[in-house]
Amino acid sequence: MIELKNVKKKFGNNEVLHDVSLSVNDGEVVVLLGPSGSGKTTFLRCINFLERADAGILKFDEEEIDLKRAKKKQILDIRRNSAFVFQNYGLFNNKTALQNIMEGLVVVQKRSKEEARKIALDSLEWVGLKDKADYYPSQLSGGQQQRVGIARAVALNPKFILFDEPTSALDPELVGETLSVIKKVAKKGITMIIVTHEMSFAQEVADRVIFMDGGVVVEEGAPDEVFYKPKEERTKKFLARILQKDMYYI
Amino acid sequence: MGDYFSFDRFLVRIGQITPYVLVNFKMVFWAMLIGTICAIAVAILRLKKIPVIEQILIVFISYMRGTPLLVQMCVAYYGIPIVFGNLIYNAFGINLNRLDAIVFVIIAFILNEAAFLGEIFRGAILSVPTVQTEAGLSIGMTRLQILFRIVLPQAINVAIPQYGVDLIGVFHNTALAFTLGVLDMMSRARTLGVSTGHTLEGFVVVAIIYIIISLILKALFYLLEKKFQYGRR
Repeated sequence: MIELKNVKKKFGNNEVLHDVSLSVNDGEVVVLLGPSGSGKTTFLRCINFLERADAGILKFDEEEIDLKRAKKKQILDIRRNSAFVFQNYGLFNNKTALQNIMEGLVVVQKRSKEEARKIALDSLEWVGLKDKADYYPSQLSGGQQQRVGIARAVALNPKFILFDEPTSALDPELVGETLSVIKKVAKKGITMIIVTHEMSFAQEVADRVIFMDGGVVVEEGAPDEVFYKPKEERTKKFLARILQKDMYYI
Repeated sequence: MGDYFSFDRFLVRIGQITPYVLVNFKMVFWAMLIGTICAIAVAILRLKKIPVIEQILIVFISYMRGTPLLVQMCVAYYGIPIVFGNLIYNAFGINLNRLDAIVFVIIAFILNEAAFLGEIFRGAILSVPTVQTEAGLSIGMTRLQILFRIVLPQAINVAIPQYGVDLIGVFHNTALAFTLGVLDMMSRARTLGVSTGHTLEGFVVVAIIYIIISLILKALFYLLEKKFQYGRR
């Protein structure tokens, strides 16, 4: 179980997170929704210390960590138990798809090269890209890069995975292949927190949906509740806007 | 046309001048070797943005970029013995005034390269997107591991072409060293010209040697560049 309490973050005078709390059960898939600038991504980045929160507590594995004062060892510990999937893929450009996955297994988890290679190949196969093992990121499409990114995350066997808008940099026709891989991850029972703008995907994959706006959690609940019976005015407005946008695509 | 150029004298000059290219190589070698190490230090110190040190480096770099190399050589040649002469004599027993001019030329090159290459390296490191570092952090790598395994290999890819251009530039600039009395190709061509009254052949030989070696260096760096492309064409 991951618990976040009273997370706050300012960039200069701009208060991005205004007291956000969230707890996620083991194996649960939580989707964060909200307009841009609502703090979803910042919140996600605070969880594994890519951004240092100004205040807040992270409880994980019976350990309570002060987000502001966390020590190097605590930060490494969280990062080594989690994985992050980036909006713009974040694959190491100087390494092939296979080496990208092996990197963490060898350097961080200290596995032997042969073992890492085997795990990496398995996980590439799992995302349907075994034949691209020796390709560099620059030789892969966006969708393929993101699938390698997901394979890299899953191969590390993390306790939880954070997804930061994993499909928003992709061409529309590449979104589907990436989403179906994320659904596969969800079926594995790994705890996931996902920031996304893909509404139908959110509805399908989420156990719980959190709607954020202006740096606070406005509403949360089961996907059907939030999507079809939103209680808060702000949620309704947001959904109306988003669904309208979806209409244009059709 | 008169007797300005004779092919026979040209051939003789080749044998007389070519061995002196080693003196130019010597200057390039030390300038690049120590200059590169200093440049890495300059780049890292500037990226760390340490107060005072940063301002000193900015002044140093703008001096190196804002003055001609020949002026820097003269300042090193005449200035270093005056400023550090006593200190070095007392500490190591070396009389700077008796040192070969080439030492000061190399020092001038090293300082110049520390600035120019330092900026090249700094730019190359900054050109690596932050998400590369973040991706490394997110899988639990340490900053040092990320620097050596992810950021520097990608920065090298950016820096190699510029490093090649810079190296060739240094090689060309060694032609200035004869003005301070270094006995290199230029100085040899000049003395031969003065003593025989036939100047042109010697300088043509020097020019041809410069062209050939520049082309070889260019080709080598082209190959090196290809090696670090990571799939890009």
